[in-house]
Amino acid sequence: MLAGCSRPYKDLTVFRGDPGCVQQFRPRFTSALYKTQVDVVGNHLSGLLVIKMMPDSSTRVVFASEMGLTFFDFAFLPDGQFKVYQIIKKMNKKAVIKTLRKDFELILFQHTGLAGERTLEGGGLHYYAFPQEKGINYYITDTGCTHLIRAEKASATKTVVEAVLLNYSNGVPDSIGITHKNFHFTISLKRLEK
Amino acid sequence: MLRMCLLVCVMAGSMAVHAQYAGYTLLSDVTGFKGAFAAASAKMTSLSCDFVQEKNLSMLSEKIVSRGKFRFRKDNKVRMEYTQPFQYLMIMAGDRIYIRDDQKEHSVSTKSNKLFGQINELVVDCVKGSALENPHFSVRVFEGAGNYLIELTPTGKDLKELFKTINISIDKKDFSASGIDMREPSGDYTILTFTHKELNSPLPDALFTMH
Repeated sequence: MLAGCSRPYKDLTVFRGDPGCVQQFRPRFTSALYKTQVDVVGNHLSGLLVIKMMPDSSTRVVFASEMGLTFFDFAFLPDGQFKVYQIIKKMNKKAVIKTLRKDFELILFQHTGLAGERTLEGGGLHYYAFPQEKGINYYITDTGCTHLIRAEKASATKTVVEAVLLNYSNGVPDSIGITHKNFHFTISLKRLEK
Repeated sequence: MLRMCLLVCVMAGSMAVHAQYAGYTLLSDVTGFKGAFAAASAKMTSLSCDFVQEKNLSMLSEKIVSRGKFRFRKDNKVRMEYTQPFQYLMIMAGDRIYIRDDQKEHSVSTKSNKLFGQINELVVDCVKGSALENPHFSVRVFEGAGNYLIELTPTGKDLKELFKTINISIDKKDFSASGIDMREPSGDYTILTFTHKELNSPLPDALFTMH
């Protein structure tokens, strides 16, 4: 209902809650392998995605083709910094890297420990809002903060990206879906046993 | 002193070439090898085998292991079917590559996608024995006890970005490919090992079309 409104966050009201409660949904990756499907404006790309927590507490995200060619290798550092270790020429565009960075930051719960977070409610859900360099990341739960319904990246007024993290096992989601709202771009991850 | 340093450098360089692959020596005259390879390849009409693919992410100390079935039929038909730990089918037939992935099917023309075309050509070359003539690579051949090793170094800009070298291991007994080792500039590498090889068994057309 709220997502269908043209300004989905307009009618939310502030409530006194603990924004730290969403940390229980932060995926606890040690090393996970996902079969990955990417659909972007009529083009389909598939491959394997490795998400691994490194000894320096950075999270590495590596995407490779089924046949083994590495498409990109990103690092998300604990202080919020981001590093591109490798990316193929076809994808090495500022807008592509920025979009992927923001998408993965949303599902990795990056920048959720900063000041300025707010707790909001509406439509029978709780919205835990974390300001980003640009826009806000929302983690949306039931009122008891027992289930993560979805995560959203939003501009000042509307949802830009919606993400779902489903079927956690030992702190790691089995499926992850990322959908962009302003153009056709989806990423679907399904966990594989290594 | 300078002369001494130069001598050490030259010696180290020449040793590096010969010690590049343990148990292998550089073949200085490849004419004999080329002839034998071409004769064996001419007799091969098909190849069926299982494969194990090991992708090594060097900086992450991480391995991705997948398995499946590989089939090749002369002149240029390849079916590569991953069965573990995911399902993925790729068929190369002429100038088209068909892919089935989680019930989604799509095809790519190797004419419109030059890089895909070069990779397609490379896969066919690896099993067909025409790798020595591929214009996109410089080639060296090494000889070991049971195998030859064909080292392909890309010469073109696009392939150089993807591969540092591609080494094909050729079984001395029947000149069939027993493995492919693809090294990326980042240090990551992928090793394909072929097992349970069956040469010249009949492979129906249906294997090389999507249903």
